[in-house]
Amino acid sequence: MSGEQAPMLLTGNHAVAWAARLARPQVVPVYPITPQTPVLEKLTDFQAEGHFDAEIITPESEHSVMSACIPASLAGVRVFTATASQGLLLMHELLHYASGARAPIVMANVNRTVASPWAFWPDQTDSLAQRDTGWIQFYVETAQEALDTVIQAFRVAEQVLLPVLVNLDAFYVSHALEPVVVPAQALVDAYLPPFAPAQRLDTAQPSSWGNVVSQDMYYRHRQDIEAAMARVPELAAAADREWSSHTGRSHGVIERYRCDGAAAVIVSMGSLCGTAREAVDAMRDSGLAVGLVKLRLFRPLPVAALRAALGGIAALDDVVVLDRNHSPGVGGVLHQELRAALYGMPDAPRVHGYLAGVGGVNVSPERIAAFVHQALASPVRAESEWVR
Amino acid sequence: MSAELLVRSTWTTGSTAAIKTGTWRAALPQHVRAPSPCHAACPVHGDIAEWIGQARDGDFAAAWSTLSRHNPLPAVIGRICHHPCEGACNRAGHDEPLSICKLERCVGDIALERGWSYAAATLQQPERVAVVGGGPSGLSAAFQLRRRGYAVTLFEAQPELGGVMRYGIPGYRLAREVLDAEIERILALGVEVRCGQALTAPQALEDLHSAFDAIYLAIGARRQKRLPQLDYSQPWVVDGAEFLAQTSLGARPALGRHVVVIGGGSAALDVARSARRAGHEVTILALEAEPEMPAQRDEVVEAREEGITLVDAAMLRVVSELDRSAGGGLRLHCVRVQLGRAAPRGPVTVTALPGSDFVFEADAIVTSIGQDPDLAPLGARFATDGPLLQTDAFGATSVDGVWAGGDLTSGARFVSEAIAMGEHAALSIDRRLRLRAGPAEPAGQHSPAAAPVAGDTEALVPLAAINLHYHPVAARPTARRLAVPERLAAGGEVQLGLAIEQALAEAVRCFSCGTCTHCDNCVTYCPDFAVQRHGDGYRVLTDYCKGCGLCVKECPSGSMTMQEELR
Repeated sequence: MSGEQAPMLLTGNHAVAWAARLARPQVVPVYPITPQTPVLEKLTDFQAEGHFDAEIITPESEHSVMSACIPASLAGVRVFTATASQGLLLMHELLHYASGARAPIVMANVNRTVASPWAFWPDQTDSLAQRDTGWIQFYVETAQEALDTVIQAFRVAEQVLLPVLVNLDAFYVSHALEPVVVPAQALVDAYLPPFAPAQRLDTAQPSSWGNVVSQDMYYRHRQDIEAAMARVPELAAAADREWSSHTGRSHGVIERYRCDGAAAVIVSMGSLCGTAREAVDAMRDSGLAVGLVKLRLFRPLPVAALRAALGGIAALDDVVVLDRNHSPGVGGVLHQELRAALYGMPDAPRVHGYLAGVGGVNVSPERIAAFVHQALASPVRAESEWVR
Repeated sequence: MSAELLVRSTWTTGSTAAIKTGTWRAALPQHVRAPSPCHAACPVHGDIAEWIGQARDGDFAAAWSTLSRHNPLPAVIGRICHHPCEGACNRAGHDEPLSICKLERCVGDIALERGWSYAAATLQQPERVAVVGGGPSGLSAAFQLRRRGYAVTLFEAQPELGGVMRYGIPGYRLAREVLDAEIERILALGVEVRCGQALTAPQALEDLHSAFDAIYLAIGARRQKRLPQLDYSQPWVVDGAEFLAQTSLGARPALGRHVVVIGGGSAALDVARSARRAGHEVTILALEAEPEMPAQRDEVVEAREEGITLVDAAMLRVVSELDRSAGGGLRLHCVRVQLGRAAPRGPVTVTALPGSDFVFEADAIVTSIGQDPDLAPLGARFATDGPLLQTDAFGATSVDGVWAGGDLTSGARFVSEAIAMGEHAALSIDRRLRLRAGPAEPAGQHSPAAAPVAGDTEALVPLAAINLHYHPVAARPTARRLAVPERLAAGGEVQLGLAIEQALAEAVRCFSCGTCTHCDNCVTYCPDFAVQRHGDGYRVLTDYCKGCGLCVKECPSGSMTMQEELR
């Protein structure tokens, strides 16, 4: 399909803002926070220029932002917001509420270290700490992927009535300029029809959300949420395929990069995957069969896809997980998630967990190659290891 | 894209009827109509919150109708009442008590201006009732009986009706056209009036007894108490009531320049201020210290404004006469005193303070130290209680078929008390006459159902029950008074009424303690939709009320109360 524009040089934040503009949300409650602020600035620019016809609400905190997002979404309008780090943590209570309310809000989160101590580095602990809140979570590698994912996220969210968090690493993605193809409005309009839910809060037809329910009603409600989550990997893959048919760009639910015949596979999320590609290429060039599995959809965890990707390689003995997050007492969140996903699989590969990019420390392709060599030469450990 | 639309499993439409939150409850709110402190303090139990609410809504006709349920003289009472209601007003704990008395005057005056009259009795009764005494108590009884259809004949010793309101209270406190109009409106119900007919001897009462089905005696207390240290045969000693009766008719007793009034009650103040208006220099000699004087505070303040000297906490010991032919007057030998009581409820004791003697000169003395009823014309058949005629709580005397009230039976001596006793007796008479055909009822025995009004025993609405957030602090209207030179020159009413705008603003200040204003806060704030309008009030749905108490907390008038539930 035509309609592609010439690439623009955009930061990840501005790519997110462009995606939000193209998705035509009607309500955007938002509160500024480093490093997300350019998203808000760009959206207000768009509005000032007359290109963005949303109700932008700027309450006094992120808690109030989410408090505004939920009823707006329940009223049947498309809702977008963006935050980072402490802002996301402040929303925590309402993240549960939003998914329970089946409010298909899309939120961009710029992954930043959590306080204290105060810091502004890329680190995914903020969003990984929200993994049990019932939000669908994507992690993106580039500004282009950020744009594509925000638009796809609305598609998936409104199909299953669950909110979506699109995560992009601070600075590496949020502030780095890249050539980004911004699709035409008509293309996005065709891909993303207006949100028209079966139920909505409407003063003309009184109904309500949030009443006290019986044990039985609550139990069934949680089952329904789980059933909706279970549909997400397939729907996310379909949304990506259809997007690809219009734009030629596909990111997958997971992406397998040069995994054929690999003896070791690196697994990571977000911007680290870009560096890992360089390392994979270098090791392949040196004769070591190494591949990369990029996990784009973290919640729900696409267990079947991961088991297929990592179980289907006869030569594969070692999986090297690179975590840019830290869960004290456990180590790397992705490490543990992956161990759980592969557990009980016949001939499962060994899963090595490396806390490689915590606090935004630089992880070079050379170091990644060194980590792979370390894994191949070491017995596997249950705990994550600190590496630099 | 899939066309299917998901449905949220616990989306709620219609109602929350399935969720019976009432099972959580430990206490249940209840919509009540509870007596306000003002209502309980009011001698006639005047449904104050109710009529003020009607006035607030601009329905003065309804307010007047409610007011005159228990009091046919609102314009009069609105001028002269000692207003214990204001002393009890919950608003005093917030800013200042409501100006209830002036509001009553305003409503009463509007009724007079617009010529509103009482509806005639719908049912005529065959019985005839004699009311003896045309003062406030007699007029009240006549009104209540006539409204209930009885033929009433009102006997009055004086040439005109009104009693103490005409022959005691001066015109500068109660304009005569107001008094006349309110009396006329009672008479318009069809009361037969016989003025100039005093009850002089027991035989006269016997005649009435045989001619009427019931008698209400309200002949007042016109016998003056006198000071033993004074010789009342002297021309320079005058009884206060006599003085007031004369001045009320326009006479000016020749008393010389400087008049001393002895007494500390309202009547003494009336004497003093009337004398001041007649041009005398006036000194009040009161036994009580100023704060303890039984007169109303306003009266003392106004008397001072008018140039009257108050000598309080003092007692006259002896008077010596100077050489009057040489133009000399009297010399009053006085002493400072302290009042006390030997026992908590014992009689008042007077202790002269040693060395505090003082002397001053004057030309005449008017004593106004109280009055007793004259029981002689009633004969010996009646049981008495000291100087008073004895009655039960409903005004029945020891003689079957005879009721009594007012100053004849009570030492309270307030016009509003007299009106209340008239109503109580009328209700008791009505009950007796209606039951006459039925089983005989022993004299003086009344079932509680005969109690004329509620309010004495129920728990009053406390200030704590009022949500003050709904009542911003606002000042009571400043009392407006005639300037002193105009008062003394023209003798017009000293206290001026509220303008209608002031009255409406003042009505808004009323907390409406225990009288629901139908604001619907209880409905609006209930998180479980468990409070519903029901008839003239509200009901609480026990299936859904979880006893959170929001409706109680958000009630601006204390009309929702919480009851603990034992179950």
